[in-house]
Amino acid sequence: MLGHLPEVASQQAYRQAGQHFVPGPACFSGRQHPGTLPQQTRKGGLSPSLQCWGISGGQRSPRLHALPVLNSSAVTDGAAAGGTEDKWIARVLAEFQPSDESPPLPYPLEAMQTECTSALRTQRMPTTRNEEYRFTDVGPLLQIQPQVASPLDVDGEAVAAVSEAHSIKVAAAKIVVIDGVVSDQLSSTEGLPHQAFVGSLRDAPLDLMAQYLGQQARTRGSPFAIVNGATAQDVLCVYVPDGVHLDKPIHVLYIPSGHSTMAAPRLLCVLGTDAAAEVIEEFVSPATDFSTPHVTNALAEMELAQGARLKHGYVCLEGRQAMHMKGTLVRQAASSTYKLTEARLGGRLTRQDVNVAQEGEETRTEMRSFLLCGDRQLHDLHSKLRLEHPRGTADQLHKCIVAAGTGRGVFDGNVRVEQKAQKTDAGQLSRNLLLVPRATVNVKPNLQIVADDVKCTHGCAVSDLEEDQLFYFRARGVDSATARRVLVYSFGAEVTTEWPYQQLRDRIQSAVDLALANVPIMESIESEPVEV
Amino acid sequence: MYTSSLHSRHCHIQRGAPFWRPLGIRQKHTRWCKMQRFDTVRVFAGEVLLEVKDLEAKVAETGQMILRGVNLTVREGETHAIMGTNGSGKSTLSKCLVGHPDYEVTSGTVTYKGQNLLDLEPEERARAGLFMSFQSPVEVPGVSNSDFLRLAANARRKQLGQEELGPLEFYGYVMPKLAALKMNPDFLNRDVNANFSGGEKKRNEILQLSVLEADIAVLDEIDSGLDIDALRDVADAVNSLKRPNSATLMVTHYKRLLNYVVPEAVHIMEAGKIIYSGGIEVADILEQDGYEGIKSRMREEASKQPVSA
Repeated sequence: MLGHLPEVASQQAYRQAGQHFVPGPACFSGRQHPGTLPQQTRKGGLSPSLQCWGISGGQRSPRLHALPVLNSSAVTDGAAAGGTEDKWIARVLAEFQPSDESPPLPYPLEAMQTECTSALRTQRMPTTRNEEYRFTDVGPLLQIQPQVASPLDVDGEAVAAVSEAHSIKVAAAKIVVIDGVVSDQLSSTEGLPHQAFVGSLRDAPLDLMAQYLGQQARTRGSPFAIVNGATAQDVLCVYVPDGVHLDKPIHVLYIPSGHSTMAAPRLLCVLGTDAAAEVIEEFVSPATDFSTPHVTNALAEMELAQGARLKHGYVCLEGRQAMHMKGTLVRQAASSTYKLTEARLGGRLTRQDVNVAQEGEETRTEMRSFLLCGDRQLHDLHSKLRLEHPRGTADQLHKCIVAAGTGRGVFDGNVRVEQKAQKTDAGQLSRNLLLVPRATVNVKPNLQIVADDVKCTHGCAVSDLEEDQLFYFRARGVDSATARRVLVYSFGAEVTTEWPYQQLRDRIQSAVDLALANVPIMESIESEPVEV
Repeated sequence: MYTSSLHSRHCHIQRGAPFWRPLGIRQKHTRWCKMQRFDTVRVFAGEVLLEVKDLEAKVAETGQMILRGVNLTVREGETHAIMGTNGSGKSTLSKCLVGHPDYEVTSGTVTYKGQNLLDLEPEERARAGLFMSFQSPVEVPGVSNSDFLRLAANARRKQLGQEELGPLEFYGYVMPKLAALKMNPDFLNRDVNANFSGGEKKRNEILQLSVLEADIAVLDEIDSGLDIDALRDVADAVNSLKRPNSATLMVTHYKRLLNYVVPEAVHIMEAGKIIYSGGIEVADILEQDGYEGIKSRMREEASKQPVSA
């Protein structure tokens, strides 16, 4: 399976069936049923929802120019308010401008804010013309008018109930972050050893945190990371000193209050030499029927000293109107281990930018992601791992299900092995399931190898379950339709079983069940030729 | 019909089966017996469960021929062992029997309970009571063993016209089986084979055999990778699952398994064919002199009766 792309019908056949083949990075679409689909569904090359998003529908040719790109006006209007280039940025900066009444910020945060604000003045938000955002149009996000509610508006009881409903029993600490601000009332850190610090920057060892805050975002952050730097109202700090091991996880629960339309939660995680910790970030919706469009623009910076081990969990179960941007910046010193496990099911438009830099030899980096794109959902994962030192290992597994014709998965996983990084062992695998016609993934697993003494594998598979697993079921008397169903439902488990926390897994599984409830799981998605 | 000389009358009578019997009065297998021509008298007690005739098969992808005319008859109550060098086609034979998509049968027939086995889908074969244990069972993270076993058991029960079991009833059904196999109930909660040790995977296969109550068990190297204690446990389990009307076909490299699960017949495979069949003594020759020993014995026998074959 590795390094082998499944055969797809010829470009010509796709075109004739009304399917647009996108050159460049691997792009696959679900099987077409020209004979069985209603006429009007087939007619439009773009589904209605994609049009209303202003996404080019995977097409690069003339139609791209004909379609209005939602944020193009913002770009062309140029220097609007306050000498700021980008209109949306101008609105954000205006809304987040500190008023005279607001309490003073801790000095590292204030310094970062000033720096990022001035950086933003010349910045423009990306469009689909930027290669990095080619398949992910952030237009709908930029249409949301930023609004910040006063903390007084927050309905404490409702938030407490949400917090109660999302727990991890064994967690050593639970931190609740409301609209990007750490809530002292709802958080508890009783299970932590006294050497470690977990809490708001306001109470943190400031001089230490000042050394790290914003450092990685400055050089390797995305535009959204800069926006986060300018708008963050608080920073959750996790500090584990040298040699301290936390054997139980730190559970961070991010809840939007529902009154603000934009929040910028920020996490700074500093692990000393040979320290070990597990941090699970979980983003949830304030209510099950919450339907106000809002932006969550989160950022995490992880600093791993020599020999440190960090397990990082990231779960997105936000409501279907959430625009969710997430940056994860990691710096790994020699012999350190960073392990990311991600499950993303909620939100309308979500994207994670993972950027891992290697600062020393023999680092270990593991990334596992499971993404499920339902109706009108787009999940994007962009990861960059740069290996510049010898004997590093990297292992990435990306699993994505697209369960609706209006859903889309995007993956760009870049691993760069520089000349110095000899004896690197890097593996990358992307597995994608397209369950219905028109479901789309744009996947681009890529390894750039400059060093010559390395072991690297990568592969990508679209639209197939593992034959061995299917046969195992059949050999025990289970028909293939049932087997497919069971295997699709458990497709993400290869990733989520990394968490031994039953409550968390139950929450994820029920989100999976909900997303797949009305999806017809086809006998076999590939293999049938496209009818003309 | 090919009748192996190895089916000693003694062994069948010992199992308490009548010496001869008209087919019509048998209750157990009326369903498939209907499909058979009515022979009124059977000389040997055990009905033929599985009959492989001149089976040829190739690897579907490369077209490489593996089986070149296998003949084998397995009757109820019997235990057979197939031995042979690496690449002789032992595992391919067992995979062809369960319908593995990697192999394609090019000629020959396989009759199971009077039915053409090759016409059936893999799942239909399993529901009809044919079971194969996998040499290296695949891991299915995210699917719990109890769910998997229940799905499998219910598919088989449905076929047999029995009521399907709910989660709780299934628990009641499977617990005694676990206890009989001396297995930890913890097995049920774990994901299918995920992070199982080699020995645990093999035990899990036997648990599946037990839950499915298969009529013929094809055990493909069930002894590989097991330590002595685990081997004894697995062998005991296989013995305890034998029924008078079921049969076992073992594929193995070593005699040590056959010391515990004693077969009536041992077949030697080479280059896609069964070249020699005999009793347990064949395994002894193999253990002592290797495959060369078998060949010299074949030459000996051939020189004794040059014409009659």
